[in-house]
Amino acid sequence: MQSAAVDLPDASDEPLTEAVVDLVLRGMWRGRPASEHRPLVDAGLATVKGPVLLPTERAKSAVARLLRVPAGSEQEKLITAAYEAFLPVNRKIRDVCTAWQCRPDGTANDHSDDVYDAGVRESLEDVHEAVQPVLRRLDRVLAGSGRYLTDLEDALDRFDDGGPQWLASPLCDSYHTVWMRLHQELLLVLGISRAEDEAREEELVTRGRG
Amino acid sequence: MSVTDREAAPTPASGTPLLSPGTPGRILVPYGQGRIRGLDADELGAHGAAMDGLVALGLPVVPGLTVPAAAAASLCEPATAEAAVELVEQLSGRRIGDVTRPLLLRLSASAPTEIAGLPPDLACLGVAPGTADDLCAVIGQADALYEVWAATVRVIAEHALDVPGALLDDALLDTPRSAERVEVLLSLVAEHGSRPFPDAPAQQLALAARALLARWDSPRARRSRRAQRLPADLTLALHVQALRIGPADHSGYGTAVSRDPETGRLSAQGSFFRGVRRSAPPPHRGEPLDRLAGGTALLEHSLLTLERHLSAPVSVDFEVRDDEISLLAASAQLRPPLRASVCLAADLARDGALGQEAAVRRITPAQVQELLHPQLRLTGGEELLVRGLPASPGAATGTVVLSSERALELAADGTRVVLVAAETTPADVPGMLAAAAVLTGSGGIASHAAVVARGAGKPAVCGAEGLRLDRAAGTVRFGERVVREGDPISLDGRTGAVYAGTLSVSVAGPPPELSTLLTWADDIRRLGVRVNADTAAEVETALALGAEGVGLCRTEHQFLGERLPLIRRVLLAADPTARDEALVALERAQHEDFTALLAAVGDRPVTVRLLDAPLHEFLPAPGEALDAGEEQRAAALREANPMLGLRGVRLALLHERLYPAQAEALFTAWADVAATGIRPELEVMIPLVSLPQELATVAAYVRDAADAVAARTGVEVPYRLGTMIETPRAALMAAELAEHAEFFSFGTNDLTQLTYGFSRDDVERQVLASYQERGFLTASPFARLDPHGVGALVGLAAERARSVRPGIKLGVCGEHGGDPESIAFCDGLGLDYVSCSAHRVPVARMAAAHSALRARDDTGGSTR
Repeated sequence: MQSAAVDLPDASDEPLTEAVVDLVLRGMWRGRPASEHRPLVDAGLATVKGPVLLPTERAKSAVARLLRVPAGSEQEKLITAAYEAFLPVNRKIRDVCTAWQCRPDGTANDHSDDVYDAGVRESLEDVHEAVQPVLRRLDRVLAGSGRYLTDLEDALDRFDDGGPQWLASPLCDSYHTVWMRLHQELLLVLGISRAEDEAREEELVTRGRG
Repeated sequence: MSVTDREAAPTPASGTPLLSPGTPGRILVPYGQGRIRGLDADELGAHGAAMDGLVALGLPVVPGLTVPAAAAASLCEPATAEAAVELVEQLSGRRIGDVTRPLLLRLSASAPTEIAGLPPDLACLGVAPGTADDLCAVIGQADALYEVWAATVRVIAEHALDVPGALLDDALLDTPRSAERVEVLLSLVAEHGSRPFPDAPAQQLALAARALLARWDSPRARRSRRAQRLPADLTLALHVQALRIGPADHSGYGTAVSRDPETGRLSAQGSFFRGVRRSAPPPHRGEPLDRLAGGTALLEHSLLTLERHLSAPVSVDFEVRDDEISLLAASAQLRPPLRASVCLAADLARDGALGQEAAVRRITPAQVQELLHPQLRLTGGEELLVRGLPASPGAATGTVVLSSERALELAADGTRVVLVAAETTPADVPGMLAAAAVLTGSGGIASHAAVVARGAGKPAVCGAEGLRLDRAAGTVRFGERVVREGDPISLDGRTGAVYAGTLSVSVAGPPPELSTLLTWADDIRRLGVRVNADTAAEVETALALGAEGVGLCRTEHQFLGERLPLIRRVLLAADPTARDEALVALERAQHEDFTALLAAVGDRPVTVRLLDAPLHEFLPAPGEALDAGEEQRAAALREANPMLGLRGVRLALLHERLYPAQAEALFTAWADVAATGIRPELEVMIPLVSLPQELATVAAYVRDAADAVAARTGVEVPYRLGTMIETPRAALMAAELAEHAEFFSFGTNDLTQLTYGFSRDDVERQVLASYQERGFLTASPFARLDPHGVGALVGLAAERARSVRPGIKLGVCGEHGGDPESIAFCDGLGLDYVSCSAHRVPVARMAAAHSALRARDDTGGSTR
């Protein structure tokens, strides 16, 4: 990670940098602020809004600059290739989360049907199998991204241990929450906007229709 | 009897060839032959049994055969595989090598019941690099074939030829195009596999069988079986089907269900795709069924036949070959859309195919609630801003906010906000959680916003086209229409509609077929269903939903709006004269309210609860009093624990003119309404009684009021006097109370608080979730009546009261009156009615019917 020291008070302050990047990728922190959050608030990088801690606009731009790999570089090309393999699977995980939350007719899934839920778990397994080669490839070109696979597997283990919220609840580090964070990092690293991201995903999925 | 002992019997009608004994082909069971051989789903698998059923119904099926579960492993052997290939060729009238009318094979598996976690279908067996071009020429496009072929090779390579999965995945990552993928996979197999990939169809089939069975034995499949509580050693039946290859514009595959999900009416719904069928549904939408070149008549006939046969909405998979449809699979929809189930139940009952009771049994109270979800009340004059995609169910109305921060700020003050965003990122999640609803310009039912909104139980509309946000200007454009941050907006997450302004959210009336079922339910149930309603409007809504009367009218609600100053004047009056003036004004206002209410109730029962509100709801906040004197008097009345203090009957005994004023207003209103020909069955109820003397004293006030009205108007108003049972003491003193009360209504909300010693607001916030996690509670005792504690008190009170006054009417008017399990409990105690909020009335009717049916089942009696 480049410590370009753009807007951070202390360029060599690793913990502070890590903390602000983590907060921006997460989007927020709920619950009692941890010890690393106090310095962020003091440095003007985070604000407390009721029960949550949010990154400031300044923090978001700083992190975007920090994470961005040099445009046109070899690294960018390699990460882009992994990103393009990621997108079709990204489409699928959302379908899986949707299937978990509601039945095909749109009604809420009350989890009374073991067979239906097991079917969703199977689709989740397909997604997890599909994303592993992508994440293995990504880990070779984007330092630190290996933890996403670990975090996804953690969430999956907890889900299998009987915690249904570990698939898609926004209130914990569920599979979907970790996935969103991974996606967010890819976008910041490659400097791609959400609108472009959606267009690319649509294109790649359409192209794969056969 | 083992399947290998039997010989296939020739059936002249189908012309199936006789398989001579001693050949491996003996164990193969063509579709339609299972029943004759005495085989059922345990051996044939759900698919084999279903195909047998379709053949028996005379419906067209894809040619194929089943290898019964006990013998499935034998398909891995060359001899059996050869026999299978030969038999499918005979059944389909085609040969694999034929260039003009080509044939390939598909291998699939099924278990005795519909389960999840089956290995994927392996299609395109029989194709080889040498024949691929000819096949593509016939189909007219290459991709369809290659994609499926590549998927099949991938599975066989990993699970039957020992090529490491990671190696295959890595190679595939670098090879996006299907045709190249096949090449890459085949060469990986040649290099790393236990043998090169064979060209001969029978050998491919044998390997495919090996791969499916290996996949069934994998850790992931074992986990899936565990999760579904299936035996670990469950065996699968295998099915070899004919894949008749034809030109893409006359061939394809598709699915259809028998009913329209919106209306529930019988109508083929589905889509079809061109090309070769894959295991997973393709990512794109497919074409509507009316584009099928051969028409949908055969399909509809099949669906109708199957519905009657299975007595449920059905779902079919079909293939199209030369514009002709054959069925590939058919089953009852596992969880059909509710309206479809209800319509079918009503249809079958009307046709006499199903009894009314059986029809009522099919729809649960929870499903009734599903069908009556809150909607925006549309009058026709609303301004529709946009119609997006329904992403998360529910209806909501609120102030537009354009950022997560703003959402959090306003929500902290208690304002309902609707978060409007062009996109969603993790930073938007806190805003979404704080908002009442979410609206996005992009995405759909599977977008991140939708996933998060549903996870948080918030209504959401996504994919609203033409939405343009301008955060700097604080506006959002819907096409030409500009809405500012801070303007009100309403949306319906089920229809996708977004309207300007604040619409009221209300419950829709039941669709006609549900009304029919509910009428039948009314005939079955014993327990009465009344409504908790405070105004004429609420009464009207409830009566339309089937309520038999008003079980609770909370008179204090009439004081919590513009009438609040009136009650304040009574309580804080400086002297008796001022107080009496205030009482007169109060009486007049109440008379107005009661007249409207009684007129709406008609001749039905109506239970009016005299004033019960804790003092703090009526007193002005510190500093808000009209003058210093009032401030002082208000201060003197403030309490440490208002919910347990001067309220209910206690307040009435200390301000003795209060109940007489209310009662006189009520009786006068009754007399006025009776003059128009309407005679409601009036019940007057006293709240928060714990001592029989409280009830006796207040009963006298009410009697005196009735006498006063009789003297004034000449009308003797008929009424019953009763009491709320909402404290433990009242329940225990039920016998003594029954001497003065002609009816009881159990106020289970307060009774639950007082029996557990729970302050509801506080424990809901801090304790209940933890107790549920620990398994101390399965549900909140405020939602579901606690049968062991609170329920025991209710039962005891009922028994004691009946010992003194055998015909005493007993009802429940807490929130529990709308909960199906609580209703069943009350029914079991023999209570007379439950009373619930208007939108729960249909659920209560259905729940009471189900409870009666269950009781009948348990005692073994039946009036069928």
